[in-house]
Amino acid sequence: MSHYPGAGPTVYDPMTLPSDDNVNNYTFCVELKGSQWFLQKGKMIAYYGQMDFNGIGHGRLDGLVRTSFHSPLHASDWVVAQGSGKMLLADRAFDVNSYDLEEGNLTIRSGNLLAFQPSLALKQSIVPGFLTLIGTGKFVAASNGPVVFMEPPIRVDPQALVGWADCPSPCHHYDHGYMAGLMGGLRAMTGLGGASGEEHQFEFVGAGTVLLQSTEVLMAEQATGVVPSEPGVPGGYGAPAGQPQQPGVPRLPGQLGDLQRRFGL
Amino acid sequence: MFRLQGSKVLAVDMTGDAVKAKNGSMVAYDGQMAFKKMSGGGEGIRGMVTRRITGEQMTVMEVSGHGTCWFADRASEINLVSLQGDKLYVESSNLLATDAGLRTGTSFTGLRGASQGNGLFTTTVEGHGQAAIMSDGPAVVLRVSRQYPLTVDPGAYIAHQGNLSQSFQSGVTFRTFMGEGGGEAFQIRFEGDGLVYVQPSERNTIAGDV
Repeated sequence: MSHYPGAGPTVYDPMTLPSDDNVNNYTFCVELKGSQWFLQKGKMIAYYGQMDFNGIGHGRLDGLVRTSFHSPLHASDWVVAQGSGKMLLADRAFDVNSYDLEEGNLTIRSGNLLAFQPSLALKQSIVPGFLTLIGTGKFVAASNGPVVFMEPPIRVDPQALVGWADCPSPCHHYDHGYMAGLMGGLRAMTGLGGASGEEHQFEFVGAGTVLLQSTEVLMAEQATGVVPSEPGVPGGYGAPAGQPQQPGVPRLPGQLGDLQRRFGL
Repeated sequence: MFRLQGSKVLAVDMTGDAVKAKNGSMVAYDGQMAFKKMSGGGEGIRGMVTRRITGEQMTVMEVSGHGTCWFADRASEINLVSLQGDKLYVESSNLLATDAGLRTGTSFTGLRGASQGNGLFTTTVEGHGQAAIMSDGPAVVLRVSRQYPLTVDPGAYIAHQGNLSQSFQSGVTFRTFMGEGGGEAFQIRFEGDGLVYVQPSERNTIAGDV
């Protein structure tokens, strides 16, 4: 948009709005021609033309949901837009961008995904809190600040990670000094004695692309739905007895195994 | 003369004339300026009472002098609107500054206001001149014409100008109550000729999650 004195802001009408492209950094325009798009609830800000927004539990859309929606348990957070016209999408004034996948895959933090074409299949990632898109098509993602694309091998800050494509090996990485020895353990537990705040990273290796946002302000998590509690399914609640406890659950007295390891005992 | 300096600061060049601006929004000035708080938005006793009753209160100051004055408010994006005898409808909380020659008033919005969660009344600005409105993220200006009506999410709507009629659309069905609504249960439809300003962000509305 031009901000020269005298020149007013750009005025859009259905002819001048872009088709499946950004209007500005914060607003994306989707053109529907009798086609359908999946979008997160409440992200439509305006539209021209005739459109219907239906919750995914809707009977007529059953077939669509079966083919391109594989996380049945969080289907209620998504709606299907169908009709013809142009629709504007935005999310809390965050940066939005569209990405094209061609016979590809991309895993993205659940809160960052705004909308996608039904030619893509949406699945829950094995990594909790992330969703995977597989196939060919376009999707729209929001990020806090512009997105940066990086090539592995790379270690990234957990809060800056938006998603990754093709990397099969996302894993945690801890700085060595953080883990080792009595002092290291104390520091890790208490934060005393100087923690840089960067001891924990995510590590990616192999061929692929890692998407980072340029701030460390996380977008609100979007529920991805629970996974069935089966043996071997990470993040499944109600893990059978004998399985390790969920992280974050306070440790009971006498259960010092992990703590002892931390202190190097 | 209004101009934007960056997208979040409004610079007004004045040569003895005046502007009305949101109270306390001046960030800097150059030259000779006088700031005067205007009780009741400068709309007289009747305007003051109307605003008090309708809840569209705004505290406005009149700035006059020679030089340049800069205005900003909580790093909101600022959008310039020029009016040629038409009327701008904007929420008082989104109005940053207007030429002193523009008349401001209040008008009844009906259900749209209720669905936005900011009251049943809105502020109107009319006359010839410029106004500056604020939005969360840069506003997108959409033209509405006879053949292209526009539908807007109440939470993203910030202002409109021109000769538009608005109607309230509700997509509430039994599915909404079963928690399977379309997420866009309340919409405002604009028809006629004019411009609508939407922001790339949604305020929390009562219908936000429906």
